[in-house]
Amino acid sequence: MLNPNTTLPRILTYQGIPVWRHAQIIQWAAQIASAILVVALVMWFFGNMAFAIDDREIPFGFSFLEREYQTPIGEHVLPYESSDSFLYALIVAATNTLVVAVAGVILATLLGIFIGVCRLSPNWIVSKLATAYIEFFRNVPLLVQLFFWFYIILELPTVREGYVLADLLYVNNAGISFPGPVSSGVTPAVVWLVLAVAAVFVGALAHHRLVRREDETGRPSYPLVIGCVTTVGIAAITWLVLSGIFGDAPFSVSTPAPQGRFGRIDGGVTIRAGMLVLLIGLVMYTASFIAEIVRAGIQSVGRGQTEAARALGLSPVNTLRQVTFPQALRVIIPPWISQCLNLTKNSSLGGVVGYTDLTNVAITMTQTAPAINIFLMLMATYLAMSLTWSLIGNLYNRHIRFTG
Amino acid sequence: MKRITKYIGGGAVILALVAAMACGQEEPPAPVAPAQTEPTAAMAEPTQAMEATAAPTADEATSMNNQGESRLDTVRARDKVICASRNDVPGYGFLDDNGNNVGFDIDLCRALAAAVLGDPNKIEIRLITAAERGPTIQSGEVDMLVRTVTWTTSRDAQWGNYAQTMFYDGQGFMVRKDLGVGSALELQGASVCVTLGTTTELNLQDFSNQNGLNLEVLPFEDTPAVVAAYESEQCDAFTNDRSQLAALGTALQNRADHVILPETISEEPLGPVVPHGDDQWFDIVKTVMGILIYAEAYGVTSGSVPTAATGDTKVDRLMGLEGAFGQEPLGLSETVAQDVINAVGNYGEIYARNLGPEGINLPRENGRNALWANAPCQDCPKGGQIYAAPLR
Repeated sequence: MLNPNTTLPRILTYQGIPVWRHAQIIQWAAQIASAILVVALVMWFFGNMAFAIDDREIPFGFSFLEREYQTPIGEHVLPYESSDSFLYALIVAATNTLVVAVAGVILATLLGIFIGVCRLSPNWIVSKLATAYIEFFRNVPLLVQLFFWFYIILELPTVREGYVLADLLYVNNAGISFPGPVSSGVTPAVVWLVLAVAAVFVGALAHHRLVRREDETGRPSYPLVIGCVTTVGIAAITWLVLSGIFGDAPFSVSTPAPQGRFGRIDGGVTIRAGMLVLLIGLVMYTASFIAEIVRAGIQSVGRGQTEAARALGLSPVNTLRQVTFPQALRVIIPPWISQCLNLTKNSSLGGVVGYTDLTNVAITMTQTAPAINIFLMLMATYLAMSLTWSLIGNLYNRHIRFTG
Repeated sequence: MKRITKYIGGGAVILALVAAMACGQEEPPAPVAPAQTEPTAAMAEPTQAMEATAAPTADEATSMNNQGESRLDTVRARDKVICASRNDVPGYGFLDDNGNNVGFDIDLCRALAAAVLGDPNKIEIRLITAAERGPTIQSGEVDMLVRTVTWTTSRDAQWGNYAQTMFYDGQGFMVRKDLGVGSALELQGASVCVTLGTTTELNLQDFSNQNGLNLEVLPFEDTPAVVAAYESEQCDAFTNDRSQLAALGTALQNRADHVILPETISEEPLGPVVPHGDDQWFDIVKTVMGILIYAEAYGVTSGSVPTAATGDTKVDRLMGLEGAFGQEPLGLSETVAQDVINAVGNYGEIYARNLGPEGINLPRENGRNALWANAPCQDCPKGGQIYAAPLR
């Protein structure tokens, strides 16, 4: 018999498991097949789009971004004029979405934790109320809920007959107005804000150091007091210095007041009805999901942990805060991230209740600019927002995981 | 750290895709050339066309068009005309007591179906919001867009081809009487409700800037929400095309409490739009609109469609009884006008049924929407602006 290693390549004398049953080969084949499929699908999508663009003379290009937008944006957090460019208008709109997303996630998380904990309460009424809340808000479509809140807010008195508290707080069906800061100029305001953020960091660092010193040496170091004093001190000094340099304080308080024959509220900070409706709707809806996530997380912590904590003499509240909840977080964070994503994406329903979020501005733009490019940018922006949420969530998840 | 690089990698891939798209526009996409240069070849090989329909593409209309087939053939093969329209504004597109979608815009779609398929009921109405109009007609997924669409140059350039102005409108404001506002110029600092994604929204900004009114704009995606917000005084005024203000006003709880301000701040010529890229279909829609208008001018109504020569050359030519006005090159039957007028009546009948006395009661006589042909003499400018290319 010939020696197969010398006369023939090994592959021709292969005598192992038949190829079609070889686990590794099957795996590779599946990988390659699915990769080809995905690439073909993506190419088909883009090919189809390229064809349609040409066939129906659909305009395509990004040159519109520098043109003046010349269209109103209902509510905007950043300053906006109709003479601003498309690109800036998109940034303004994205900021609108971000504001609702961030505020919504914070509020929905707080409400969700509260409802979730209530659901586990030994108190029968509290736990049943929480269950009723969850089952109601989780099972009614968000769009229906938004219309519900929209009509509820419309039932409030009109701006000319609205509730006024001490000429400072105005509540009516156009929104809620209250006193707020206005910047006297962009430069001092931005400089001070940056310095204030730095002050918070310095304060936090001082607090961190002092806590460690207290732990190591046992000497009382008053970390909280010193940390706060540092932050407030730096902020106050920079405020005074900036006021001296620019001759005007970086921010002043503006109070709202009715203006003109229509009595629309001007000045201060106004949360307009559209934003209010969208926020309430998103928070109530998302909180019901977060509540269930929190309940599942808490229940995933072994019963022994609670019993041990109680045996050590911790109060029920402290048991939850110090023992159960920190362990539950590992289970809570991953599904919580997807709720953050959902809330951000659901904010695109704002148009139906009169809030001009990113999607609605983008849709309006398709009237005077190429739709395909606008929607590509829209998708990329939402994707960026979602990936950012995932990044924050995953980093936090890594931070709290078991080590060692 | 690894995870962060993953995110950056993902972002880079997306950026690359977008960049590739941006570059792609300069070079003609590969699959286009054969389909456009050999339309006859595609039609001669039925298998090729059949493959196209069998392929799991997004839409029948789109895929068949991809093979270079004309939209007329597509529509005939489908045996249905697909129109994008609405059902929320009386007069234009609304649900009647029996739940049928009726209106001026819907009748234009019916006329087209009668012309190309011989049956006005072979239509499918896709209900879309104002803001969806552009993408809908750009994608070519509908055969015609008739949803109170204002003709503007940038829409004409980007959306599709405007066939014919069938109604001349202009933007106005509606306010509550008790505010005591007599003119739109007095709306200083007012809050105005408007439908998102409309020319109305764009004109409002121009009007506010030009007159230093500092209007607060409250845009909503759906017109019913605009009306609800206005009725609850969330905004002080509500702006739309004047005819739609009149139409929507009929649905307000107490119409007498509201007034339409005298100013008309824009030109709003409304009419049907067809997708770019099929000249024959564009011409068919223009011709059908012309048939409606000239039938009224010649006094042919749905009750009096002649089937034998009348001796009046113009009427006979329109009815396909003598000569022709381009039916054959367009792929229409000789007697297409008979089908259309029998099915939906002439322009005047459509107007009367939906916008006139039987509908939302917008006056027509001596207005812009009267026929030009109704002018008392050949050249005196006393007729309306409704006019189409002569049918001959």
